[in-house]
Amino acid sequence: MVTMHSVYAHDGNPHVSPGKSKADSQKACVEPTDVMRKEHYLFLLHQRDETVIDGIRTKNHSLANCVDCHVSYDEKGKAIPINSEGQFCQECHVKTATNITCFSCHAAEPRFPNHAKNISNGDIDEISAIAKRIEDE
Amino acid sequence: MNNRRNFLVKSASALTMTFIVPSLLSSNVQAKKPLDQKVSNKQSWGMHIDVDKCVDGCTACVDACNEENGLTGFGRPETDSQWIRKVKIKDKTTDKITTMPMMCQHCENPPCCDVCPTGASFKRVDGIVMVNQHTCIGCRYCMMACPFKARSFVHETLTTQNTNAPRGKGCVESCNLCVNKIDHGSKTTACEDACIKSGHNAITFGDLKDSNSKVRLAIDSNSPRRLRNDLNLNQKVFYSNI
Repeated sequence: MVTMHSVYAHDGNPHVSPGKSKADSQKACVEPTDVMRKEHYLFLLHQRDETVIDGIRTKNHSLANCVDCHVSYDEKGKAIPINSEGQFCQECHVKTATNITCFSCHAAEPRFPNHAKNISNGDIDEISAIAKRIEDE
Repeated sequence: MNNRRNFLVKSASALTMTFIVPSLLSSNVQAKKPLDQKVSNKQSWGMHIDVDKCVDGCTACVDACNEENGLTGFGRPETDSQWIRKVKIKDKTTDKITTMPMMCQHCENPPCCDVCPTGASFKRVDGIVMVNQHTCIGCRYCMMACPFKARSFVHETLTTQNTNAPRGKGCVESCNLCVNKIDHGSKTTACEDACIKSGHNAITFGDLKDSNSKVRLAIDSNSPRRLRNDLNLNQKVFYSNI
């Protein structure tokens, strides 16, 4: 019997920099993982028109929130642009030979440039924990 | 300068009587829009600028706009983006010098949208005229169509955009009345905040459909005019004492 398999970049593996982003401590993304892997761009495409044209600002499918959660931090607790080499967005898109044009206009760091100002205490704890974990490794 | 003044002033005929739009007369109470709801035409964002209060040499509004939207220049004033700029005019007969901020006037009948081949230039239902940069092809027709020179084109690759103001090379952009702030419940724009903070209070922003809003009170208590009223664009930015 032949079973159809869909193969995605990093299928079955955690992404390149495990333990360095807030997303790593979450059980699931805003939709089931396999749906997100396959269709994240459709959610973004849908949301972008709703946001720009109708002013809907929900967080679930917002690119800014993807970045907030999936961005990795270095040992000093500073965010690494999510589209730089080896980072969450870039890694898969290089593998699948797709260009991400989002970041030619959108910020690739969380809540740039006011991250420090807008960040909550919970966030600070979480990012410090990530930074500590990286240092320990 | 005189030509510019004539251009702006002379043609603004039958001034204050013409802007009584029926929709302005209805009163509604502003409540913060839930993030998951569409904007509606129950609001109509607009601005009043008291030119007498605007101070020559002050650039608080321009600086605040640049900071809010991450507009950084490349040392090329001819092409660097400016969403708001200061204009200085001189009355030839009295030598009176007037300065005022100039930005997208958020026309009811925007010529930029008329000429846009892709529909990227559009008017939101709450009256904000803006560019959908996802569909803008950078043809710059809108820049030519705008009588107020309100739009800028991004010529350079950008790298440090603000999360709240995505912008990039190859797209046209202009004042969007701090749309992100407004959608998140803010009642002010960056330029208004800065103008108040600088103590000049020349800029007043608010909902034109709310008869109790500060912008309506400013409009009702002054006799503002729209620039180039002869074009019948019905802008939502009003100027007093010009």
